[in-house]
Amino acid sequence: MRWSVVGVLVVLLASLPALIGALPVSDAAVSAHDLRAAVLASRTVAFSGYAESAGGLALPVTDQLTSVADLFSDRTTMRVWWRGPTDNRVDVVTATGETGTHTGTGGSWTWEYERATATRVAATPLALPAPPDLLPTALGRRLLSEATDAELTRIGARRVAGRDALGLRLTPAEKASSVRRVDVWVDRASGLPLQVQVLGTEGSRTALDTRFLDLDLATPSARTTAFSPPPGAAVRVGKEAEVVLEAGRRIEPVPLPATLVGLPRRHLDGVPAAIGLYGRGVTLLTVAPLPERLSDGLYDSLVQSPAAIVDDTSVRVAAGPVGLMLVEPPDEDPYILTGTVTLDALAAAAARLPGLGSAR
Amino acid sequence: MILVELRKMFRRPRTWATIAVLNALPILVAVLLVLTDLAPRPGEGPPFLSAVLSNGTLYPLAALAIVLPLFLPIAVAVIAGDSIAGEAQAGTLRYLLTRPAGRTRLLVAKLVAVMLFVVVAVLVVAVVGYVVGTTMFHAQPIGGTVIGGTGGTSFSGTSLTPQDITNRTLMGIGYVAVSMLGVAAFGLFFSTLTESPLGATMGVLAVLVSSSLLFTLDAASPIAPYLPTRYWLSFVDFFRDPIQWRDITRGLSLQAVYVGVLLTAAWANFTTKDVTS
Repeated sequence: MRWSVVGVLVVLLASLPALIGALPVSDAAVSAHDLRAAVLASRTVAFSGYAESAGGLALPVTDQLTSVADLFSDRTTMRVWWRGPTDNRVDVVTATGETGTHTGTGGSWTWEYERATATRVAATPLALPAPPDLLPTALGRRLLSEATDAELTRIGARRVAGRDALGLRLTPAEKASSVRRVDVWVDRASGLPLQVQVLGTEGSRTALDTRFLDLDLATPSARTTAFSPPPGAAVRVGKEAEVVLEAGRRIEPVPLPATLVGLPRRHLDGVPAAIGLYGRGVTLLTVAPLPERLSDGLYDSLVQSPAAIVDDTSVRVAAGPVGLMLVEPPDEDPYILTGTVTLDALAAAAARLPGLGSAR
Repeated sequence: MILVELRKMFRRPRTWATIAVLNALPILVAVLLVLTDLAPRPGEGPPFLSAVLSNGTLYPLAALAIVLPLFLPIAVAVIAGDSIAGEAQAGTLRYLLTRPAGRTRLLVAKLVAVMLFVVVAVLVVAVVGYVVGTTMFHAQPIGGTVIGGTGGTSFSGTSLTPQDITNRTLMGIGYVAVSMLGVAAFGLFFSTLTESPLGATMGVLAVLVSSSLLFTLDAASPIAPYLPTRYWLSFVDFFRDPIQWRDITRGLSLQAVYVGVLLTAAWANFTTKDVTS
């Protein structure tokens, strides 16, 4: 009898999470087109929440930009307070500290507790990937921004962060794409993306999964998002993005093809002229000549990958849906090609570059 | 009966020796910090240790963070594992049960004694940490204005007044004590299963080591929220701004579940088992 009490208690408690998870979720008759529109219109919706992203992309990098590589390969826990696109705060929370990014008009402050440093970064057209970019809201809007109606389907509903979320699936139309699909789960009430899952064409593992664990649609206070460096903190000006862009501007442009593997070339504000950007939506390819002094370190890093494909003039490797290829033509400067295209597409694109292929 | 058990526990030299050993490591760390003036950088080493050179009132939390991963749970496991099994091994359990009080009351008395040990052990570490921190390091008076320097800065980069730090420290100490109640509940349950105190203690440690190991594995992430050690370090969340209550409330709820289930199981086992020694 007494052990029965224990048994009932254990069964009750153990089944509680499953029972809560099995609560019915109500779907809504919202079309994929309208759901995408709701997502894109949600930039101004105020909220606060707690999110977690898990990346499975083991990007091969040299000593530079390791923080970017960590971002896509680790589990990142974030708290966010969002009053609007130019008034928000995203903290990356760790067991012994945190790194907070406070965005305001004209730029952002980044507070790193571990280094007791506050860094002011001016707003630039292009920036290096940062933890706030991995929030389901930011990533969902970015990935759906160029999707066409033909690429979108509805996939039912599920409960995310205790809220009803409507499913929207993006299946890229481009044959060269290494992204099999992107599933975005959208808050029915606000249009905010609550979860984003990216799957590559190879393997069944999710390449990137970011989701809210808690979400509150109340407007957070301005005091929470504001920031001024605390007494005793080191204050510096961040120029990492500027340095990377300046390095890009110093590259001597070469005549790149107008189309590669069926992807047309496109131009974005702030992108240096020597860098070729192709594709749209979630299928993107970037091509750039690479200074000789940088290619050696990158080559050494790439060939160490067990999955690297090496031939006489190139090495290519895939980290989930992200492909990376270094080409070293005999009489030309090296090229780097990277993007969300398959390794075969990378090789086909490389064959058409000046000094390597016949077609221009 | 509760008073008898309390008197018995706190009159044992072993109890106080355990608490003394618990305090030895934080004191040693403080001495080394003072002699070398080399605190770890923020984010490195145990939480709060980086800040104690500029504000010694944070040393109670640093001391708890030093003993929390290993020494404090071992101390609690030793005392809790000994509670019933120690009596059985010494051959005194049978005589204790000849009293008209009954097994349930004896279990409750043992439970209260172990719980009180947990509270006393955590408080002594905190008090010794405060004394060490305020005498060996620069300390800020409670009720003063905002502290300058990173010592009085929250994880989020906002300045905390000494009153803020005091309040949050007290909440952190309370949270650690509650976290250790789960360890005590494991110890008491295992103690009713065996006549070997060492076996009960090792059982608790096996659970805690397994839990800590599983928490580091991505493959175990579906069960991570239910691991007994999952939220132990969440006492640092009191020092974020705003306070991050999410993991704190989950940690308290999880400990309540473990304590409730394990004490019920201990009661079910102890009140129905054959006591032969």
